[in-house]
Amino acid sequence: MIGFIGKGLVYAAFLSAILAAIGYFLYSQKDEERYFKISNWLFGLQGLFILAASVLLLYLVMTHQFNYYYVFEYTSRDLQLKYLISAFWGGQEGSFMLWMMLATIVSFGLMKWTRKPYRGPVLFFMALSQIFLLTMVLGFHLGDFSIGASPFRSLAQAMPNAPFLQANPNFVPQDGKGLNDLLKSPWMVIHPPILFFGFSMMTVPYCYAMAALWKRKYNEWVDPALPWTLGANIALLTAIFLGGYWAYVTLSFGGYWAWDPVENAALVPWLLGTAGIHMMVVQRKKSAPSKASIFFAIIAYVGIVYETFLTRSGILADSSVHSFVDLGLYGQLVVFMAVITLIGLGMFIYRYNDMPKQNNELNLMSREFMTFSGAMVLFLLGLIIALGTSAPIIGRLFVDNPTPPEVSFYNNWTMPLAMIAAILTVFGQYIFWKRQDPESLARELTWPVAATCVISLATIMIGGIHDIYYMLYILTAWFALIGNGVIMVRLLMKNPKVIGGALTHVGFGLLLLGILASSAYNSNLLDLATKNYNQAVEQGKVTDDQGFKKTQKVNFLELKLNQPKIINNKYKVTYEGYTLKNQARPGQQQYRIKFEPADGDGEQFTMNPQVYPMLSASTSQNIQWSVDPDVRSGLFSDIYMYVSGSSYVEQKNDELTKQNKKTEAQPASATEPDTSKTQKIKLQKGESVTVADFDIHFKNYSPVDSTSLQDSTIVAVRAHLDINPRGSDSSIPINPLFSVYKKNGENWSYAPPVSIPGHDGGSIQFSSVDPSNGQIELTIRGVDKKVKDQWVLLVAQEKPFISIVWIGTFLLMAGFTVSIFRHWDRERKKS
Amino acid sequence: MKPKLILGIAAIVGFTSLLMYNFGNSISTYTNFKQASNMESAHVVGTLDKSKDFGFSMKTKQFSFYMKDQNGNVRRVIYPKQKPNNFEQAKRLVVIGKMKNGVFYANDMLMKCPSKYNNTDPSQFSKNNASKS
Repeated sequence: MIGFIGKGLVYAAFLSAILAAIGYFLYSQKDEERYFKISNWLFGLQGLFILAASVLLLYLVMTHQFNYYYVFEYTSRDLQLKYLISAFWGGQEGSFMLWMMLATIVSFGLMKWTRKPYRGPVLFFMALSQIFLLTMVLGFHLGDFSIGASPFRSLAQAMPNAPFLQANPNFVPQDGKGLNDLLKSPWMVIHPPILFFGFSMMTVPYCYAMAALWKRKYNEWVDPALPWTLGANIALLTAIFLGGYWAYVTLSFGGYWAWDPVENAALVPWLLGTAGIHMMVVQRKKSAPSKASIFFAIIAYVGIVYETFLTRSGILADSSVHSFVDLGLYGQLVVFMAVITLIGLGMFIYRYNDMPKQNNELNLMSREFMTFSGAMVLFLLGLIIALGTSAPIIGRLFVDNPTPPEVSFYNNWTMPLAMIAAILTVFGQYIFWKRQDPESLARELTWPVAATCVISLATIMIGGIHDIYYMLYILTAWFALIGNGVIMVRLLMKNPKVIGGALTHVGFGLLLLGILASSAYNSNLLDLATKNYNQAVEQGKVTDDQGFKKTQKVNFLELKLNQPKIINNKYKVTYEGYTLKNQARPGQQQYRIKFEPADGDGEQFTMNPQVYPMLSASTSQNIQWSVDPDVRSGLFSDIYMYVSGSSYVEQKNDELTKQNKKTEAQPASATEPDTSKTQKIKLQKGESVTVADFDIHFKNYSPVDSTSLQDSTIVAVRAHLDINPRGSDSSIPINPLFSVYKKNGENWSYAPPVSIPGHDGGSIQFSSVDPSNGQIELTIRGVDKKVKDQWVLLVAQEKPFISIVWIGTFLLMAGFTVSIFRHWDRERKKS
Repeated sequence: MKPKLILGIAAIVGFTSLLMYNFGNSISTYTNFKQASNMESAHVVGTLDKSKDFGFSMKTKQFSFYMKDQNGNVRRVIYPKQKPNNFEQAKRLVVIGKMKNGVFYANDMLMKCPSKYNNTDPSQFSKNNASKS
């Protein structure tokens, strides 16, 4: 029933959006106020329907109605409230709903603030984009033809071929599949709303550009469009940052960026949008229209739709870590993309000759030329990354079944362009604020250049950088930082409101430095023996058992319990054990890795990487372990580590394999105790002993109230023992009984073996007690006699100056924010 | 104006061809073990051969397993990292690396897990029902 209402609401929203679009179209053509009013109401109504549908979906999620596919697929009963709420946008269908709600909010802003003559066309295109988004969740079926996938469809509708549903169409699962453990992170809760807010706002410059072409007013549109574009930019940048940070602290690839299609999907529109901002700023300053700003405004939104297509159509399924479920939206997404692109570029070409001619004198020293060059570099960066991301499609020109490009493709192309961009930022800023001829510019730049050279040289020497290419890169990055820094300080003294541009460029310079340091100079933390081994591999001196040369290095750090190792002559690292207590995830182990300075003095710290069973993927026969890395952030370098294996995990897996074999091979029959695994141990009160992989601590004993035992019992004692799995800080108390009773005039002892928790078939028997000295004897069965090593296998890396990456990003955001305030302020005064 | 235009077009054409040339070189095609032997970096697609042992060796610090490619060739694959999550569940494996002496040395490995859509494993339901109800 609720599903039916939900679908109805989506249809109602779809209808309202279409009517609103028609209304806006008529308003744009006829300029009658009533069309605008009615359309606004219709569009508002559309938003209300979407909101109601979203509330319903959220209600289904909160009340665990697993007969709905979306609820079953993305949630489960054990999810915390915040993850239940975020599950609303966890799947494709829900994230479209979120996108539409945010787009509606943006539209309300446009209704209020957009002036004539643009407001009709702007809202028309906003409604048009909304119509396309609505089709994605429509769930309309007619025979084999279908439009969209409804979030309200039932399991039976979603999986018509599943045999268990064919047998019983009304089957309701008890619980859902749940949320992937990796996504249970507060970063991932706020990441999607910010991203889609960015997507929604990036629609606005497109709408304005189209309105400008429609109304043939090619200049004034940039003023109102600029704050929106800047807002979209900040939102995208924030989303990219959150995604990168999440990847760094949650995933085990050890970085914040991997050129994954999903990352690129947000980066490309950001680059194109930033190119657009450059052109808009210069157009505003010059107050002469420019074709380039219209072009970039169109292409930025095309970029968003294109990347949406790439990530959601299933076409990248083989090349991305993101496993978007393929909902069969391919055709629709192609239409969406084609319409947005063709209308956009079509209008652009149609009006091309109508747009005022620019005076085409190629003056190298003009700020138009400099800014245009900067925008072009950003545009090229965007194109190259889009090309790389499109490998599964465009690669078919070269080979069948293309793979994604090697990472070096991205690095080789983006690095030189970033270097050019870095240099351009300085020239651009110097020329932007003051008319310059080559001589005056050279004079002004003397000191910044000198400072850049000195600081770069110092960086190269201190950092021990040998690569000439990197040296050049460092030079350009420092140039951007210092050159723009000087401008920023000057502006700060005159008019702090206008420092936005200079501030972003300072951030860009910092970002470049941070990216190089953290990625090219990232080193594995290894002990000396492993380092020597790797060196030997490099020299080709290591051969395997068949006599072939080994080529793969070892990048693991293996630590035995309480046996410190010296790492890089810098740290003394000790594995101090793990804890199983008070963990957020059931079955999680938190390891304690202590770092001390190798030479003894200085700060010491402990890192706590974690390992946990992935509930959504584990079964009773097989545990899927997942890792949660720990990052120790510092100003100069980060230490990043995760546990790649441990004796605890190995033992757990062995236990499972043993159990599985037993249930397969010999059900029901009890295994004979293995006599070779029987040992007797004598213990005094307060003593501990080490057996296999655990310690037994004998605390004390207590007499037992004999009323619960046989009448003839003479003496009965319980030993209080603590079983402590070595390395763990938690212990399990067991209390085996020893008693002596009389039967037929003889003394008999009664001492039942107590099983050892976590050791299948293992038991401890309190076999005798020596009354003279209080020593007890324990008989342990079914446990290996050999003392087992406790170890942990780590992947640990030192990443220099990753903090600079974050600081650079924050400065970029801050710069864009300052610009928003400036342009928004001006806009407000106008209206 | 004319020479500038020609210069501009030449620059665009030059840049684009260089870009596309480099792009073409940096992608390769999914292949099998036979063809991988004369490639520097090959992407081989296949499935795990469960009849043979697989596992991580603490001694060599390597994960090794046998993979059957799409043409049915089975080769040993050595991967210098731990066993990845979902390894046994993967419907399809892609190993990226180099073939040497009949052994494939993978530097990277991707796993394609069973599609969630339309063929959800019924055991998922029974498992959830058994453990939670």
